[in-house]
Amino acid sequence: MSFTITCPICGKRNGYEFRFGGEDGGPRPDEEGLTSRDWCEYVHMHNNIGGPQKEWWYHRHGCGLWFTIWRDKRTNLEVDEPEAK
Amino acid sequence: MFGKFKIFWEKAPLKSSYDAVIIGGGLHGLATAYYLARNHGMKNVVVIEKHYIGYGGAGRNTAIVRANQRTKENLPFYNEGLKLWPKLTAELDFNLMFNNCGNLNLAHSTAGISALRMQIASAQFHGIKSELLDPKQCKELIPELDISDGIRYPIFGAMYHPPGGTLRHDAVVWGLARGAAKFGVHIHQGTEVLEIGVKKGKIVSVETGKGVIHTPHVLNAAGGYSARISFEMVGLRLPIYVLPIQAMVTEPLKPFLNHVISSGVYHAYASQSLKGEIVTGSHMDPWPSYTTQVTERYIKHQAEALTELLPCLKGVKFMRTWAGLADMTPDMAPIIDGNDHIQGYYMDCGWGYFGFKSAPVTGKYLAQFMATGRCPEMLKPFTLHRYEEHRLMGETASPVDYGPEFGWVT
Repeated sequence: MSFTITCPICGKRNGYEFRFGGEDGGPRPDEEGLTSRDWCEYVHMHNNIGGPQKEWWYHRHGCGLWFTIWRDKRTNLEVDEPEAK
Repeated sequence: MFGKFKIFWEKAPLKSSYDAVIIGGGLHGLATAYYLARNHGMKNVVVIEKHYIGYGGAGRNTAIVRANQRTKENLPFYNEGLKLWPKLTAELDFNLMFNNCGNLNLAHSTAGISALRMQIASAQFHGIKSELLDPKQCKELIPELDISDGIRYPIFGAMYHPPGGTLRHDAVVWGLARGAAKFGVHIHQGTEVLEIGVKKGKIVSVETGKGVIHTPHVLNAAGGYSARISFEMVGLRLPIYVLPIQAMVTEPLKPFLNHVISSGVYHAYASQSLKGEIVTGSHMDPWPSYTTQVTERYIKHQAEALTELLPCLKGVKFMRTWAGLADMTPDMAPIIDGNDHIQGYYMDCGWGYFGFKSAPVTGKYLAQFMATGRCPEMLKPFTLHRYEEHRLMGETASPVDYGPEFGWVT
């Protein structure tokens, strides 16, 4: 099955229309008192989970929207947001 | 007609304690085990592999070796790696099928040529053979190459790197496994790591699907799965994205391509195997996943690129296509570190698509690192700390990455 992503505006589209924008790393850290290590954590480090992950996508060849989805990295399929534990 | 198959190594039962546990029966894990036992007398070592040896990147790469990287940290390292292949063939008494055919990196613009000039100068500075060829010289090496200006990106020249070539990757896996086992290393296939035991900042055990192993040393050499293991089992996040990379082979043809040829702009590389197949690839899915699915999109792209560069391939069929996982770092250089964040925990991750060519040399130095606890000079630049110190390496600017399709990086 081909890889698709659901854009909030354009709906379900071919995955190659989109650009992957990274794992969701939460809000940008406050610059005040920011250490080199914390900045590195925010910029470079990833969880690389083998399962559902929240991540950013950009509809490059479409409406240009940035949005988040949940995707299972073992199957490449979009999934519902897991319930908070 | 073939006689009886010989056993490669004697199976030994999994013990409850070892001096070192190596996670991942790929080339890096096996090479490290081999050198630990051979050079440092650490023979009480086990390699645990979830599937079978060579299941991951070790058996999915396209077996190209070269030392034409860009930076002063990487060049001597890969150069030593390149020189190890003939030595290993003799040492392991195993035909690794090293075909020293040389690599040709094509440039398709004056900017591309300038970038190659710098890369060639860097290689020559380190005593590595590398030279600039004009299109006519390229054609002399590969008569089937189209050097006309009738293609989308006409060839302006190439970087010719004679010391490179190809090997048989399965032979390297088997040779290293047999070599390690001869020195007493245990290899356990079908053995998954479930948990890494850490007490007071020290490695104490590894829990596997076949029982707990007590050990003071663990090496994470799990290739595409190493970043995940690192986060899920020891809580250490790494600057890695795992991207599936696709490769394919055509039907076998008469020998006509006696060099590894690559083009950053066409985003394709190809070599002819000793069986005659054209082995080609280079495309990565531009999003991370743990699938090894292949896509029609890249088969089509590969066909377009190859038939423009080598028009004699028109009408030739692809026989097989597959994918493997590449653990990509932001500076295209590996993370080799250890005995720091957690005492006794070593990692050999983030090789991206450089894991094959670097395996024996990494194993050699990593074994020294694990046996002594002190990082050898050669490996120091690859520390994980370089990211928080914002000292990323300049390998990303290497011309092989120049191309319209490159640019997914976040």
